[in-house]
Amino acid sequence: MPNENNDLKPVKSDDGNIDNIIVNVKNLNFYYGNYHLLKSINLYFKKNSVCTLLGPSGCGKSTFLRTLNRMNDYTEGAKLTGEVLIDGKNIYDKSVDVVELRRNIGMVFQNPNPFPKSIFENVAFGLKIHGIKNKDFIVERVEKCLKYAGLYDEVKDKLNKSALSLSGGQQQRLCIARAIATNPSILLMDEPTAYLDPVSTSIILDLINSFKKYYTIIVVSHNVQQSGRISDYSGFFLDGELIEFDESGNFFTRPKDKRTENFITSRY
Amino acid sequence: MFNLKYKDDFFKFILSVFVLAVVVIFLIAVIVILYYSYPSISRYGISFLWKKEWNPPAEIFGALTFLAGTFFVTFLALIFAIPLSLGTGIFLQEYCPFFLRGIFTIIIEMLAGIPSVVFGVWGVLTVVPWIRESVEPFFSRHFSGVPFLKVEENIGYGILAASIIVAFMILPIIASITKDSLSSVPKLAKDGALAMGATKLDVIKDVSMPYALNGIYGGIILGFGRAIGETIATVLLIGNQAIVPKSLFSVGYTISSMLANTFTFAVISPIYASAEVELALILLLISLMVNIVGRNILNRVIGGRFSRSQFGGG
Repeated sequence: MPNENNDLKPVKSDDGNIDNIIVNVKNLNFYYGNYHLLKSINLYFKKNSVCTLLGPSGCGKSTFLRTLNRMNDYTEGAKLTGEVLIDGKNIYDKSVDVVELRRNIGMVFQNPNPFPKSIFENVAFGLKIHGIKNKDFIVERVEKCLKYAGLYDEVKDKLNKSALSLSGGQQQRLCIARAIATNPSILLMDEPTAYLDPVSTSIILDLINSFKKYYTIIVVSHNVQQSGRISDYSGFFLDGELIEFDESGNFFTRPKDKRTENFITSRY
Repeated sequence: MFNLKYKDDFFKFILSVFVLAVVVIFLIAVIVILYYSYPSISRYGISFLWKKEWNPPAEIFGALTFLAGTFFVTFLALIFAIPLSLGTGIFLQEYCPFFLRGIFTIIIEMLAGIPSVVFGVWGVLTVVPWIRESVEPFFSRHFSGVPFLKVEENIGYGILAASIIVAFMILPIIASITKDSLSSVPKLAKDGALAMGATKLDVIKDVSMPYALNGIYGGIILGFGRAIGETIATVLLIGNQAIVPKSLFSVGYTISSMLANTFTFAVISPIYASAEVELALILLLISLMVNIVGRNILNRVIGGRFSRSQFGGG
Protein backbone atom coordinates (compact mmCIF):
# COMPACT_ATOMS: atom_id res chain seq x y z
CA MET A 1 0.00 0.00 0.00
CA PRO A 2 1.34 3.44 -0.79
CA ASN A 3 1.53 5.37 2.42
CA GLU A 4 -0.90 8.25 2.26
CA ASN A 5 1.36 10.44 4.39
CA ASN A 6 4.37 9.57 2.33
CA ASP A 7 4.54 12.68 0.20
CA LEU A 8 6.73 13.29 -2.79
CA LYS A 9 9.66 14.63 -0.81
CA PRO A 10 13.27 14.83 -1.92
CA VAL A 11 15.42 12.12 -0.41
CA LYS A 12 18.79 13.19 0.93
CA SER A 13 21.54 12.00 -1.29
CA ASP A 14 24.60 10.62 0.44
CA ASP A 15 27.33 9.92 -2.04
CA GLY A 16 30.24 7.67 -1.38
CA ASN A 17 28.32 5.45 1.05
CA ILE A 18 28.06 1.77 0.15
CA ASP A 19 24.48 1.75 1.50
CA ASN A 20 23.75 4.18 -1.23
CA ILE A 21 23.41 1.42 -3.78
CA ILE A 22 19.74 0.87 -4.55
CA VAL A 23 19.89 -1.66 -7.38
CA ASN A 24 22.60 -4.27 -7.49
CA VAL A 25 22.66 -6.69 -10.39
CA LYS A 26 24.75 -9.79 -9.88
CA ASN A 27 25.71 -12.19 -12.66
CA LEU A 28 22.42 -11.78 -14.50
CA ASN A 29 21.79 -14.03 -17.47
CA PHE A 30 18.66 -13.95 -19.54
CA TYR A 31 17.63 -16.54 -22.11
CA TYR A 32 14.84 -16.43 -24.60
CA GLY A 33 14.37 -19.99 -25.79
CA ASN A 34 17.88 -21.01 -26.81
CA TYR A 35 18.97 -17.46 -27.35
CA HIS A 36 21.32 -16.11 -24.71
CA LEU A 37 20.10 -12.53 -24.60
CA LEU A 38 21.90 -11.09 -21.58
CA LYS A 39 25.32 -12.42 -20.63
CA SER A 40 26.61 -12.20 -17.06
CA ILE A 41 25.58 -8.66 -16.33
CA ASN A 42 27.09 -7.12 -13.19
CA LEU A 43 26.40 -3.53 -12.25
CA TYR A 44 24.82 -1.35 -9.63
CA PHE A 45 22.87 1.87 -9.54
CA LYS A 46 23.23 4.51 -6.87
CA LYS A 47 20.34 6.26 -5.18
CA ASN A 48 19.22 9.54 -6.73
CA SER A 49 21.37 9.26 -9.78
CA VAL A 50 20.50 9.23 -13.44
CA CYS A 51 21.99 6.36 -15.36
CA THR A 52 21.70 5.83 -19.08
CA LEU A 53 22.20 2.50 -20.78
CA LEU A 54 23.37 2.90 -24.34
CA GLY A 55 23.73 0.48 -27.19
CA PRO A 56 22.58 -0.30 -30.69
CA SER A 57 19.13 -1.76 -31.32
CA GLY A 58 18.80 -5.39 -30.26
CA CYS A 59 21.74 -5.28 -27.84
CA GLY A 60 19.55 -6.32 -24.90
CA LYS A 61 19.37 -3.00 -23.08
CA SER A 62 15.55 -2.89 -23.08
CA THR A 63 15.39 -6.52 -21.99
CA PHE A 64 17.77 -5.67 -19.19
CA LEU A 65 15.59 -2.76 -18.11
CA ARG A 66 12.58 -5.05 -18.03
CA THR A 67 14.36 -7.53 -15.77
CA LEU A 68 14.52 -4.81 -13.11
CA ASN A 69 10.74 -4.79 -12.59
CA ARG A 70 10.16 -8.38 -13.74
CA MET A 71 8.24 -7.34 -16.85
CA ASN A 72 9.74 -10.34 -18.62
CA ASP A 73 7.77 -12.66 -16.34
CA TYR A 74 5.01 -12.97 -18.90
CA THR A 75 7.28 -13.68 -21.87
CA GLU A 76 6.82 -17.26 -23.03
CA GLY A 77 10.08 -19.19 -23.03
CA ALA A 78 12.06 -16.67 -21.02
CA LYS A 79 14.56 -17.87 -18.40
CA LEU A 80 16.66 -15.89 -16.01
CA THR A 81 19.59 -16.70 -13.73
CA GLY A 82 21.49 -14.51 -11.30
CA GLU A 83 20.25 -11.90 -8.89
CA VAL A 84 18.75 -8.44 -8.95
CA LEU A 85 18.96 -6.91 -5.50
CA ILE A 86 16.82 -3.89 -4.82
CA ASP A 87 17.44 -2.40 -1.38
CA GLY A 88 19.36 -5.57 -0.67
CA LYS A 89 16.53 -7.98 -1.50
CA ASN A 90 16.57 -10.28 -4.52
CA ILE A 91 13.47 -9.41 -6.50
CA TYR A 92 13.44 -12.87 -8.09
CA ASP A 93 13.08 -14.46 -4.68
CA LYS A 94 9.91 -16.53 -4.37
CA SER A 95 8.67 -14.45 -1.46
CA VAL A 96 8.63 -11.23 -3.48
CA ASP A 97 5.23 -9.79 -4.36
CA VAL A 98 5.52 -8.56 -7.94
CA VAL A 99 2.65 -6.12 -7.49
CA GLU A 100 4.36 -4.51 -4.50
CA LEU A 101 7.69 -4.49 -6.33
CA ARG A 102 6.26 -2.66 -9.32
CA ARG A 103 4.58 -0.08 -7.15
CA ASN A 104 8.05 0.90 -6.05
CA ILE A 105 9.36 1.02 -9.62
CA GLY A 106 7.76 3.33 -12.13
CA MET A 107 8.19 2.63 -15.83
CA VAL A 108 7.90 4.85 -18.87
CA PHE A 109 7.81 3.23 -22.28
CA GLN A 110 9.16 4.04 -25.71
CA ASN A 111 5.74 4.88 -27.10
CA PRO A 112 3.44 6.96 -24.96
CA ASN A 113 0.83 4.46 -23.77
CA PRO A 114 -1.86 6.24 -21.78
CA PHE A 115 -4.90 4.15 -20.93
CA PRO A 116 -8.08 4.86 -22.89
CA LYS A 117 -9.40 6.81 -19.93
CA SER A 118 -9.52 10.44 -18.87
CA ILE A 119 -6.34 12.36 -18.06
CA PHE A 120 -7.28 12.31 -14.38
CA GLU A 121 -8.04 8.59 -14.33
CA ASN A 122 -4.70 7.81 -15.98
CA VAL A 123 -2.74 9.38 -13.15
CA ALA A 124 -5.12 8.06 -10.51
CA PHE A 125 -4.92 4.50 -11.89
CA GLY A 126 -1.92 3.40 -9.83
CA LEU A 127 -3.40 4.81 -6.65
CA LYS A 128 -6.75 3.15 -7.21
CA ILE A 129 -5.40 -0.31 -8.04
CA HIS A 130 -3.33 -0.15 -4.88
CA GLY A 131 -6.46 0.38 -2.85
CA ILE A 132 -6.39 4.11 -2.10
CA LYS A 133 -9.96 5.34 -1.77
CA ASN A 134 -9.50 8.77 -0.17
CA LYS A 135 -10.80 11.06 -2.93
CA ASP A 136 -9.19 14.25 -1.63
CA PHE A 137 -5.84 12.54 -1.44
CA ILE A 138 -6.17 11.21 -4.97
CA VAL A 139 -7.17 14.60 -6.38
CA GLU A 140 -4.28 16.28 -4.60
CA ARG A 141 -1.78 13.63 -5.70
CA VAL A 142 -2.94 13.70 -9.32
CA GLU A 143 -2.56 17.46 -9.41
CA LYS A 144 0.87 17.28 -7.83
CA CYS A 145 2.12 14.60 -10.22
CA LEU A 146 0.85 16.52 -13.24
CA LYS A 147 2.69 19.57 -11.94
CA TYR A 148 5.89 17.57 -11.42
CA ALA A 149 5.62 16.28 -14.96
CA GLY A 150 5.19 19.84 -16.23
CA LEU A 151 1.82 19.09 -17.71
CA TYR A 152 -0.61 20.60 -15.26
CA ASP A 153 -0.97 24.05 -16.83
CA GLU A 154 -1.69 22.50 -20.20
CA VAL A 155 -4.39 20.10 -19.00
CA LYS A 156 -5.87 21.64 -15.85
CA ASP A 157 -9.09 22.61 -17.63
CA LYS A 158 -9.64 19.27 -19.30
CA LEU A 159 -8.77 16.66 -16.71
CA ASN A 160 -11.86 14.69 -17.65
CA LYS A 161 -11.03 14.63 -21.36
CA SER A 162 -9.63 11.46 -22.86
CA ALA A 163 -5.88 11.10 -22.49
CA LEU A 164 -5.76 10.04 -26.13
CA SER A 165 -6.70 13.59 -27.17
CA LEU A 166 -3.30 14.87 -26.02
CA SER A 167 -0.28 15.30 -28.30
CA GLY A 168 2.49 12.69 -28.26
CA GLY A 169 4.76 14.78 -26.06
CA GLN A 170 1.93 15.53 -23.65
CA GLN A 171 0.96 11.86 -23.56
CA GLN A 172 4.51 10.92 -22.64
CA ARG A 173 4.56 13.47 -19.82
CA LEU A 174 1.20 12.08 -18.70
CA CYS A 175 2.77 8.64 -18.60
CA ILE A 176 5.56 10.07 -16.46
CA ALA A 177 2.99 11.63 -14.12
CA ARG A 178 1.23 8.27 -14.00
CA ALA A 179 4.47 6.46 -13.21
CA ILE A 180 5.35 8.73 -10.26
CA ALA A 181 1.84 8.77 -8.77
CA THR A 182 2.48 5.76 -6.57
CA ASN A 183 5.64 7.45 -5.29
CA PRO A 184 8.19 4.92 -6.52
CA SER A 185 11.85 5.14 -5.63
CA ILE A 186 13.06 3.97 -9.03
CA LEU A 187 12.01 5.18 -12.48
CA LEU A 188 12.76 3.04 -15.50
CA MET A 189 12.56 4.75 -18.87
CA ASP A 190 12.78 2.82 -22.11
CA GLU A 191 13.84 5.30 -24.79
CA PRO A 192 11.27 7.79 -23.52
CA THR A 193 11.98 10.35 -26.22
CA ALA A 194 12.41 8.03 -29.19
CA TYR A 195 9.23 9.12 -30.91
CA LEU A 196 8.98 12.71 -29.75
CA ASP A 197 9.70 16.00 -31.47
CA PRO A 198 12.76 18.02 -30.38
CA VAL A 199 10.78 20.40 -28.15
CA SER A 200 9.00 17.59 -26.29
CA THR A 201 12.28 15.71 -26.05
CA SER A 202 13.98 18.70 -24.48
CA ILE A 203 11.15 19.09 -21.94
CA ILE A 204 11.43 15.45 -20.94
CA LEU A 205 15.22 15.58 -20.62
CA ASP A 206 14.86 18.58 -18.33
CA LEU A 207 12.30 16.64 -16.31
CA ILE A 208 14.72 13.75 -15.90
CA ASN A 209 17.37 16.14 -14.66
CA SER A 210 15.05 17.69 -12.11
CA PHE A 211 13.73 14.29 -11.00
CA LYS A 212 16.92 12.80 -9.66
CA LYS A 213 16.46 14.44 -6.30
CA TYR A 214 13.36 12.26 -5.89
CA TYR A 215 14.16 9.08 -7.75
CA THR A 216 16.83 6.80 -9.06
CA ILE A 217 16.39 7.00 -12.81
CA ILE A 218 17.55 4.39 -15.28
CA VAL A 219 17.12 5.40 -18.90
CA VAL A 220 17.63 3.22 -21.94
CA SER A 221 18.67 5.22 -24.94
CA HIS A 222 20.49 5.01 -28.19
CA ASN A 223 21.09 8.69 -28.36
CA VAL A 224 24.63 9.47 -27.16
CA GLN A 225 24.14 13.21 -27.08
CA GLN A 226 21.02 13.08 -24.94
CA SER A 227 22.61 10.63 -22.56
CA GLY A 228 25.61 12.86 -22.07
CA ARG A 229 23.28 15.69 -21.21
CA ILE A 230 21.32 13.98 -18.47
CA SER A 231 23.28 11.14 -16.94
CA ASP A 232 25.56 10.71 -13.95
CA TYR A 233 26.48 7.16 -14.93
CA SER A 234 26.46 5.47 -18.29
CA GLY A 235 26.67 1.92 -19.49
CA PHE A 236 27.23 0.45 -22.91
CA PHE A 237 25.56 -2.78 -24.04
CA LEU A 238 26.59 -4.75 -27.10
CA ASP A 239 25.24 -8.17 -28.11
CA GLY A 240 23.90 -8.86 -24.63
CA GLU A 241 27.08 -7.94 -22.82
CA LEU A 242 27.74 -4.94 -20.63
CA ILE A 243 30.92 -3.62 -22.24
CA GLU A 244 31.53 -0.67 -19.99
CA PHE A 245 29.92 1.09 -17.04
CA ASP A 246 31.33 4.25 -15.54
CA GLU A 247 30.66 7.77 -14.40
CA SER A 248 29.44 9.72 -17.38
CA GLY A 249 32.39 12.10 -17.24
CA ASN A 250 34.84 9.25 -17.80
CA PHE A 251 32.50 7.27 -20.01
CA PHE A 252 32.10 9.96 -22.63
CA THR A 253 35.56 11.51 -22.53
CA ARG A 254 37.84 8.56 -21.72
CA PRO A 255 36.08 5.30 -22.61
CA LYS A 256 38.21 2.31 -21.65
CA ASP A 257 36.92 -0.02 -24.33
CA LYS A 258 37.44 0.53 -28.03
CA ARG A 259 33.87 -0.62 -28.76
CA THR A 260 32.43 2.00 -26.41
CA GLU A 261 34.53 4.62 -28.10
CA ASN A 262 33.33 3.49 -31.49
CA PHE A 263 29.73 3.74 -30.36
CA ILE A 264 29.92 7.15 -28.78
CA THR A 265 31.74 8.46 -31.81
CA SER A 266 28.89 6.97 -33.88
CA ARG A 267 30.65 4.12 -35.59
CA TYR A 268 27.82 1.63 -35.08
CA MET B 1 -5.00 -18.33 -80.13
CA PHE B 2 -5.47 -16.01 -77.16
CA ASN B 3 -2.47 -14.12 -76.09
CA LEU B 4 -1.89 -13.73 -72.38
CA LYS B 5 -3.50 -10.32 -72.19
CA TYR B 6 -6.80 -11.59 -73.57
CA LYS B 7 -6.71 -14.63 -71.36
CA ASP B 8 -6.41 -12.38 -68.35
CA ASP B 9 -9.31 -10.21 -69.49
CA PHE B 10 -11.41 -13.26 -70.20
CA PHE B 11 -10.77 -14.70 -66.77
CA LYS B 12 -11.61 -11.37 -65.18
CA PHE B 13 -14.83 -11.24 -67.19
CA ILE B 14 -15.91 -14.73 -66.07
CA LEU B 15 -15.24 -13.86 -62.43
CA SER B 16 -17.19 -10.62 -62.78
CA VAL B 17 -20.15 -12.58 -64.14
CA PHE B 18 -20.05 -14.89 -61.12
CA VAL B 19 -19.96 -11.96 -58.72
CA LEU B 20 -22.77 -10.26 -60.58
CA ALA B 21 -24.80 -13.50 -60.39
CA VAL B 22 -24.47 -13.53 -56.61
CA VAL B 23 -25.67 -9.94 -56.37
CA VAL B 24 -28.55 -10.61 -58.77
CA ILE B 25 -29.64 -13.72 -56.87
CA PHE B 26 -29.68 -11.75 -53.63
CA LEU B 27 -31.74 -8.99 -55.23
CA ILE B 28 -34.14 -11.48 -56.80
CA ALA B 29 -34.66 -13.14 -53.41
CA VAL B 30 -35.46 -9.79 -51.81
CA ILE B 31 -37.74 -8.78 -54.68
CA VAL B 32 -39.62 -12.11 -54.62
CA ILE B 33 -40.10 -11.83 -50.86
CA LEU B 34 -41.34 -8.25 -51.24
CA TYR B 35 -43.61 -9.20 -54.15
CA TYR B 36 -45.27 -12.12 -52.41
CA SER B 37 -45.66 -10.31 -49.10
CA TYR B 38 -47.30 -7.32 -50.80
CA PRO B 39 -50.91 -8.66 -50.64
CA SER B 40 -50.54 -9.20 -46.91
CA ILE B 41 -48.84 -5.85 -46.33
CA SER B 42 -51.56 -3.96 -48.20
CA ARG B 43 -54.40 -5.89 -46.59
CA TYR B 44 -53.31 -5.94 -42.93
CA GLY B 45 -51.09 -2.85 -42.87
CA ILE B 46 -48.76 -2.04 -40.02
CA SER B 47 -51.12 -3.53 -37.44
CA PHE B 48 -49.92 -6.94 -38.68
CA LEU B 49 -47.02 -6.43 -36.28
CA TRP B 50 -49.08 -6.27 -33.07
CA LYS B 51 -52.19 -8.34 -33.87
CA LYS B 52 -52.14 -11.59 -31.96
CA GLU B 53 -54.61 -13.76 -33.80
CA TRP B 54 -53.34 -16.16 -36.44
CA ASN B 55 -56.32 -17.83 -38.03
CA PRO B 56 -55.74 -19.05 -41.59
CA PRO B 57 -59.31 -20.30 -42.31
CA ALA B 58 -60.74 -16.90 -41.31
CA GLU B 59 -57.90 -15.12 -43.09
CA ILE B 60 -56.99 -13.17 -39.95
CA PHE B 61 -53.26 -12.81 -39.55
CA GLY B 62 -51.16 -11.07 -36.89
CA ALA B 63 -47.45 -11.57 -36.21
CA LEU B 64 -47.29 -10.81 -32.50
CA THR B 65 -47.24 -14.43 -31.32
CA PHE B 66 -44.28 -15.30 -33.49
CA LEU B 67 -42.42 -12.05 -32.90
CA ALA B 68 -42.83 -12.56 -29.16
CA GLY B 69 -41.61 -16.16 -29.38
CA THR B 70 -38.66 -15.15 -31.54
CA PHE B 71 -37.53 -12.33 -29.29
CA PHE B 72 -38.13 -14.31 -26.12
CA VAL B 73 -35.89 -17.14 -27.33
CA THR B 74 -33.26 -14.77 -28.76
CA PHE B 75 -32.89 -12.62 -25.68
CA LEU B 76 -32.95 -15.53 -23.30
CA ALA B 77 -30.30 -17.28 -25.39
CA LEU B 78 -28.16 -14.13 -25.27
CA ILE B 79 -28.59 -13.89 -21.50
CA PHE B 80 -27.38 -17.47 -21.15
CA ALA B 81 -24.64 -17.20 -23.75
CA ILE B 82 -23.05 -13.82 -22.96
CA PRO B 83 -21.54 -14.56 -19.53
CA LEU B 84 -20.47 -18.03 -20.61
CA SER B 85 -18.85 -16.90 -23.82
CA LEU B 86 -17.20 -13.79 -22.33
CA GLY B 87 -15.76 -16.02 -19.63
CA THR B 88 -14.56 -18.50 -22.22
CA GLY B 89 -13.00 -15.80 -24.41
CA ILE B 90 -11.28 -14.08 -21.48
CA PHE B 91 -9.95 -17.38 -20.16
CA LEU B 92 -8.62 -18.46 -23.54
CA GLN B 93 -6.82 -15.20 -24.21
CA GLU B 94 -5.59 -14.22 -20.78
CA TYR B 95 -5.33 -17.23 -18.51
CA CYS B 96 -5.14 -20.38 -20.63
CA PRO B 97 -1.71 -22.07 -20.70
CA PHE B 98 -0.16 -21.58 -24.11
CA PHE B 99 -0.20 -25.24 -25.16
CA LEU B 100 -3.90 -25.65 -24.31
CA ARG B 101 -5.07 -22.49 -26.03
CA GLY B 102 -4.81 -23.96 -29.52
CA ILE B 103 -6.71 -27.11 -28.55
CA PHE B 104 -9.53 -25.20 -26.85
CA THR B 105 -9.78 -22.79 -29.74
CA ILE B 106 -10.19 -25.67 -32.18
CA ILE B 107 -12.87 -27.27 -29.99
CA ILE B 108 -14.80 -24.00 -29.87
CA GLU B 109 -14.55 -23.58 -33.60
CA MET B 110 -15.80 -27.15 -34.02
CA LEU B 111 -18.75 -26.29 -31.82
CA ALA B 112 -19.57 -23.54 -34.33
CA GLY B 113 -19.56 -26.12 -37.09
CA ILE B 114 -22.03 -28.58 -35.56
CA PRO B 115 -25.19 -28.65 -37.72
CA SER B 116 -28.09 -27.09 -35.89
CA VAL B 117 -30.28 -30.18 -36.28
CA VAL B 118 -27.71 -32.16 -34.31
CA PHE B 119 -27.92 -29.58 -31.55
CA GLY B 120 -31.71 -29.90 -31.72
CA VAL B 121 -31.63 -33.68 -31.44
CA TRP B 122 -29.25 -33.45 -28.51
CA GLY B 123 -31.62 -30.97 -26.90
CA VAL B 124 -34.58 -33.32 -27.29
CA LEU B 125 -32.61 -36.22 -25.85
CA THR B 126 -31.03 -34.48 -22.86
CA VAL B 127 -32.16 -30.91 -22.24
CA VAL B 128 -35.91 -31.57 -22.52
CA PRO B 129 -35.92 -34.51 -20.05
CA TRP B 130 -33.70 -32.52 -17.69
CA ILE B 131 -36.10 -29.58 -17.73
CA ARG B 132 -39.11 -31.85 -17.37
CA GLU B 133 -37.74 -33.94 -14.52
CA SER B 134 -35.60 -31.46 -12.58
CA VAL B 135 -36.04 -27.83 -13.53
CA GLU B 136 -39.81 -27.58 -13.91
CA PRO B 137 -40.66 -29.53 -10.73
CA PHE B 138 -38.21 -27.32 -8.83
CA PHE B 139 -39.72 -24.11 -10.16
CA SER B 140 -43.31 -25.25 -9.69
CA ARG B 141 -42.51 -26.07 -6.06
CA HIS B 142 -40.66 -22.88 -5.19
CA PHE B 143 -41.65 -20.17 -7.66
CA SER B 144 -45.23 -21.04 -8.56
CA GLY B 145 -46.55 -17.54 -7.91
CA VAL B 146 -43.77 -15.67 -9.71
CA PRO B 147 -44.64 -14.21 -13.11
CA PHE B 148 -42.45 -15.45 -15.99
CA LEU B 149 -41.48 -18.51 -13.96
CA LYS B 150 -44.85 -20.28 -13.86
CA VAL B 151 -44.87 -23.88 -15.03
CA GLU B 152 -48.02 -24.44 -17.05
CA GLU B 153 -47.55 -27.91 -18.49
CA ASN B 154 -44.76 -30.06 -17.23
CA ILE B 155 -43.52 -31.27 -20.63
CA GLY B 156 -39.97 -29.98 -20.89
CA TYR B 157 -40.46 -28.47 -24.31
CA GLY B 158 -40.74 -24.72 -24.63
CA ILE B 159 -38.94 -21.37 -24.53
CA LEU B 160 -36.35 -22.46 -21.98
CA ALA B 161 -35.28 -25.61 -23.82
CA ALA B 162 -35.00 -23.73 -27.12
CA SER B 163 -33.08 -20.85 -25.52
CA ILE B 164 -30.55 -23.13 -23.86
CA ILE B 165 -29.73 -24.87 -27.13
CA VAL B 166 -29.61 -21.64 -29.12
CA ALA B 167 -27.30 -20.26 -26.43
CA PHE B 168 -24.89 -23.14 -27.08
CA MET B 169 -25.05 -22.40 -30.78
CA ILE B 170 -24.10 -18.75 -30.43
CA LEU B 171 -21.53 -19.32 -27.69
CA PRO B 172 -18.67 -20.06 -30.11
CA ILE B 173 -19.37 -16.89 -32.10
CA ILE B 174 -19.24 -14.59 -29.11
CA ALA B 175 -16.43 -16.50 -27.39
CA SER B 176 -14.09 -16.48 -30.37
CA ILE B 177 -14.76 -12.83 -31.15
CA THR B 178 -14.17 -11.95 -27.50
CA LYS B 179 -10.87 -13.81 -27.67
CA ASP B 180 -9.84 -12.10 -30.90
CA SER B 181 -10.85 -8.67 -29.62
CA LEU B 182 -8.77 -9.21 -26.49
CA SER B 183 -5.81 -10.39 -28.53
CA SER B 184 -5.90 -7.18 -30.55
CA VAL B 185 -5.41 -5.06 -27.43
CA PRO B 186 -1.99 -3.42 -27.82
CA LYS B 187 0.64 -5.13 -25.66
CA LEU B 188 2.07 -1.73 -24.80
CA ALA B 189 -1.19 -0.71 -23.14
CA LYS B 190 -1.23 -3.87 -21.04
CA ASP B 191 2.45 -3.48 -20.18
CA GLY B 192 1.73 0.04 -19.00
CA ALA B 193 -0.77 -1.25 -16.47
CA LEU B 194 1.34 -4.24 -15.42
CA ALA B 195 4.33 -1.98 -14.81
CA MET B 196 2.18 0.04 -12.42
CA GLY B 197 1.69 -3.07 -10.34
CA ALA B 198 -1.70 -3.98 -11.76
CA THR B 199 -2.79 -7.57 -11.31
CA LYS B 200 -3.98 -9.57 -14.30
CA LEU B 201 -7.56 -8.89 -13.23
CA ASP B 202 -6.87 -5.12 -13.05
CA VAL B 203 -5.43 -5.25 -16.56
CA ILE B 204 -8.44 -7.13 -17.93
CA LYS B 205 -10.89 -4.87 -16.14
CA ASP B 206 -9.28 -1.51 -16.76
CA VAL B 207 -7.32 -1.90 -19.99
CA SER B 208 -8.18 -4.95 -22.08
CA MET B 209 -11.95 -4.90 -21.72
CA PRO B 210 -12.38 -1.17 -22.47
CA TYR B 211 -10.23 -1.68 -25.57
CA ALA B 212 -12.01 -4.86 -26.63
CA LEU B 213 -15.52 -3.81 -25.74
CA ASN B 214 -16.54 -2.59 -29.18
CA GLY B 215 -15.42 -5.84 -30.75
CA ILE B 216 -17.32 -7.80 -28.14
CA TYR B 217 -20.47 -5.75 -28.82
CA GLY B 218 -20.05 -6.67 -32.48
CA GLY B 219 -19.74 -10.34 -31.53
CA ILE B 220 -22.87 -10.18 -29.40
CA ILE B 221 -24.79 -8.58 -32.26
CA LEU B 222 -23.63 -11.30 -34.65
CA GLY B 223 -24.73 -13.86 -32.07
CA PHE B 224 -28.08 -12.11 -31.90
CA GLY B 225 -28.36 -12.34 -35.69
CA ARG B 226 -27.59 -16.04 -35.56
CA ALA B 227 -30.05 -16.68 -32.73
CA ILE B 228 -32.93 -14.81 -34.30
CA GLY B 229 -32.84 -16.84 -37.48
CA GLU B 230 -32.16 -20.21 -35.86
CA THR B 231 -34.75 -22.65 -37.15
CA ILE B 232 -34.25 -26.39 -36.81
CA ALA B 233 -33.25 -26.44 -33.17
CA THR B 234 -36.22 -24.28 -32.22
CA VAL B 235 -38.63 -26.38 -34.30
CA LEU B 236 -37.53 -29.41 -32.33
CA LEU B 237 -37.62 -27.79 -28.92
CA ILE B 238 -40.03 -24.89 -28.60
CA GLY B 239 -43.27 -26.89 -28.62
CA ASN B 240 -44.69 -25.24 -31.75
CA GLN B 241 -47.90 -23.74 -30.47
CA ALA B 242 -49.13 -20.36 -31.61
CA ILE B 243 -49.47 -18.72 -28.23
CA VAL B 244 -47.71 -15.68 -26.82
CA PRO B 245 -45.33 -17.12 -24.22
CA LYS B 246 -46.05 -15.88 -20.72
CA SER B 247 -43.36 -17.77 -18.89
CA LEU B 248 -39.92 -19.27 -19.22
CA PHE B 249 -41.57 -22.68 -19.41
CA SER B 250 -44.30 -21.77 -21.92
CA VAL B 251 -44.39 -23.44 -25.27
CA GLY B 252 -44.36 -21.04 -28.19
CA TYR B 253 -43.44 -20.50 -31.78
CA THR B 254 -40.72 -18.50 -33.47
CA ILE B 255 -41.04 -16.95 -36.91
CA SER B 256 -38.51 -19.34 -38.36
CA SER B 257 -39.90 -22.50 -36.78
CA MET B 258 -43.43 -21.55 -37.81
CA LEU B 259 -42.35 -21.01 -41.40
CA ALA B 260 -40.48 -24.30 -41.44
CA ASN B 261 -43.51 -26.18 -40.16
CA THR B 262 -46.32 -24.57 -42.10
CA PHE B 263 -45.11 -22.91 -45.26
CA THR B 264 -45.45 -25.98 -47.48
CA PHE B 265 -49.19 -26.10 -46.94
CA ALA B 266 -49.65 -22.34 -46.63
CA VAL B 267 -49.00 -21.99 -50.36
CA ILE B 268 -52.48 -23.37 -51.11
CA SER B 269 -54.03 -20.04 -50.11
CA PRO B 270 -52.47 -16.89 -51.63
CA ILE B 271 -53.24 -14.64 -48.68
CA TYR B 272 -52.08 -17.24 -46.12
CA ALA B 273 -48.85 -17.66 -48.05
CA SER B 274 -48.48 -13.90 -48.34
CA ALA B 275 -48.83 -13.46 -44.57
CA GLU B 276 -46.13 -16.06 -44.01
CA VAL B 277 -43.86 -14.42 -46.57
CA GLU B 278 -44.34 -11.16 -44.74
CA LEU B 279 -43.07 -12.89 -41.59
CA ALA B 280 -40.06 -14.01 -43.61
CA LEU B 281 -39.54 -10.42 -44.73
CA ILE B 282 -39.58 -9.19 -41.14
CA LEU B 283 -37.01 -11.81 -40.20
CA LEU B 284 -34.87 -10.92 -43.22
CA LEU B 285 -34.91 -7.23 -42.39
CA ILE B 286 -34.01 -7.78 -38.74
CA SER B 287 -31.19 -10.20 -39.61
CA LEU B 288 -29.79 -7.92 -42.30
CA MET B 289 -29.84 -4.92 -40.04
CA VAL B 290 -28.27 -6.78 -37.16
CA ASN B 291 -25.56 -8.28 -39.33
CA ILE B 292 -24.67 -5.00 -40.99
CA VAL B 293 -24.41 -3.25 -37.64
CA GLY B 294 -22.43 -6.10 -36.08
CA ARG B 295 -20.00 -6.40 -38.96
CA ASN B 296 -19.46 -2.68 -39.14
CA ILE B 297 -18.51 -2.60 -35.50
CA LEU B 298 -16.18 -5.57 -35.92
CA ASN B 299 -14.53 -4.22 -39.04
CA ARG B 300 -13.77 -1.00 -37.27
CA VAL B 301 -12.30 -2.83 -34.32
CA ILE B 302 -10.60 -5.94 -35.63
CA GLY B 303 -10.21 -4.85 -39.21
CA GLY B 304 -11.93 -6.86 -41.91
CA ARG B 305 -11.43 -10.30 -40.41
CA PHE B 306 -15.12 -10.88 -39.98
CA SER B 307 -16.40 -9.29 -43.13
CA ARG B 308 -16.71 -12.79 -44.51
CA SER B 309 -17.76 -14.60 -41.38
CA GLN B 310 -17.21 -18.32 -41.01
CA PHE B 311 -20.47 -18.50 -39.13
CA GLY B 312 -23.47 -19.18 -41.31
CA GLY B 313 -27.10 -18.57 -40.54
CA GLY B 314 -29.62 -21.09 -39.22
